[in-house]
Amino acid sequence: MQTSRVAVAALAFSFILAGARPALAHGFGPTYDIPIPLWLYLYGAAAAVVLSFLPLALFYRKERDSPYRYPRLDLFRIRFLKKVLTSRLLTGGLRLLSVALFLVVVIAGLVGLQSGYNFAPTFVWVTWWVGFSLFTAFVGNLWPLVNPWRVVFDWAEGLVRRLGYRDGLEFDEPYPEALGIWPAVGLYLVFVWIENVFSGSYVPRNIALFALAYSLITLYGMAFFGKETWLRRGDAFSVFFGLLGRFAPTEARVKDPDVCLGCDGCGDDAGGGCVNCYKCFARAAPDERELNLRPPAVGLGLAEKVMPGGAAFVIVVLAGVTFDGLLETPLWLEIVRLTPLTQTLGTILLPLLFFGLYLGFVELSRFLGGGGEGGFRRFAAAYAFSLVPITIAYQVAHYYTYLLVQGQMMVSLVSDPLGWGWNLFGTADFEPRYGIVGAGFVWYSQVALIVAGHVIAVYLAHSISLRLLRDPGRALRSQLPMLVLMVLYTMTSLWILAQPIVE
Amino acid sequence: MVIVLILGGLFFLLRPDTPSGVPRDRTIAVSIEDGEMRPAEIFVNEDDSVTLRLRSDRPMEIHLHGYDVEQEVEPGQKASLRFRADLTGRFEIEDHGSERELGVLQVRPR
Repeated sequence: MQTSRVAVAALAFSFILAGARPALAHGFGPTYDIPIPLWLYLYGAAAAVVLSFLPLALFYRKERDSPYRYPRLDLFRIRFLKKVLTSRLLTGGLRLLSVALFLVVVIAGLVGLQSGYNFAPTFVWVTWWVGFSLFTAFVGNLWPLVNPWRVVFDWAEGLVRRLGYRDGLEFDEPYPEALGIWPAVGLYLVFVWIENVFSGSYVPRNIALFALAYSLITLYGMAFFGKETWLRRGDAFSVFFGLLGRFAPTEARVKDPDVCLGCDGCGDDAGGGCVNCYKCFARAAPDERELNLRPPAVGLGLAEKVMPGGAAFVIVVLAGVTFDGLLETPLWLEIVRLTPLTQTLGTILLPLLFFGLYLGFVELSRFLGGGGEGGFRRFAAAYAFSLVPITIAYQVAHYYTYLLVQGQMMVSLVSDPLGWGWNLFGTADFEPRYGIVGAGFVWYSQVALIVAGHVIAVYLAHSISLRLLRDPGRALRSQLPMLVLMVLYTMTSLWILAQPIVE
Repeated sequence: MVIVLILGGLFFLLRPDTPSGVPRDRTIAVSIEDGEMRPAEIFVNEDDSVTLRLRSDRPMEIHLHGYDVEQEVEPGQKASLRFRADLTGRFEIEDHGSERELGVLQVRPR
């Protein structure tokens, strides 16, 4: 099946050509999706509005006592699962695999075939960026375990200590607290620019060079400020996956609140014990640890100490996925043609626009709710988490067909990562299958996902307002502006999906 | 309960009739001049039997993504590309030699 190999390579090569054209700067290849029809767009918008009243009605009847109380099932209580999940073979194996994959990406990027068949672009953009994001949101956050930069740093530190240097690799310079997670916001913005605007985002060598540059920043940050300090504030991906992990139906919890005393990452009051603080989780005694199944999205309603820039990060993520969709619409093409706006300016201005709108609506909500303790900053930080389900829903709706179509390339790429004609596992000739899901299914699932994300977001915002205002009547009033904001955004996402695709 | 009724009602109210019943035979004339295909977008419905009558001012190999079918065209000669539109979606039509995108085929679901 030599011809099919050539066809796949040609397909991959055409992505690069497509990427070189200024109008289409998308990091990935085609998905064969067609825009949703007008009637479905209208229906989705109507459904979002109608269903918005469902959470409001639920809350109106019964007052929720505490956002920390939700059903949990500790997987570590099942002896077999605990044995498997905590075995060094599994955790160590995953960490080793992660570093190995990172190395393959860098090597394939530097010395592999540049024009087509190459492991690096597909792995980074499809498997990791889309696939791992979805895994994190819908299964759980493995990133703190497998983050290759963390693993390499741990290994290096272990080695240095064994060589007799007691202090290890961390200088532990004091981190300027006012800087918060702004370094992560900045790096994430650069990443969004590379993904959506940079025309060489699919070129293997660029991917390798970016990965190496990012390694330098991250390893330096970890050494200078301390590993956990930097990962929590400066590593855009740790912050990003951490956010998705709060949505996930699993949580890592430490039962004993004393373990978390003096930890700078846990909430002031996480309702007994701390959730998804991997620093405390690593420190806690084995029988103090829980790995819980929980309802999805409840983690976003938990109180947490939010660092400066926390709300901005959520907005940048939201604007990033929206921008990706917006770039393919005729409207954006017209904007670029008629105004001095460019793709790069758009990458910066859209988050600013979103942020301004968001802050305006938060202030309105605070006004209608009759103020509240903690002031504007606290409200802005807390409500930002309610936008995460909307982001995830749009991300899934927009990308899942990429994963289904382009993800299949991985099967042949593992056998020939460098494009040198190898056939390591005998799968190099695998031909991707199209049409796994028909366009009709894609339409309905996209609309259903976006409406579901919207409803969860409305629900979360309401439970957050109850926590902040402690009064059902005031909370209800305060939710009207938030509802309008979310309906506006949901209509925008649906509108983008209904637009004819232009390139 | 009320919400379910409203949403169900809206769905049937808004949903249009499915495109004209049974699959049809569709023959579409496609001409390529100076690297531009006319019509630039071809619309068919799922399961239609499609015949593209191709004409080009240059020799080229037309490649339809997704379906992965190809047809060579010589200037002045007629060629046709036949397939059953069993995959729904939006598929690029390209000149296989230069990898240039010529146009798009959209297959709408039933």
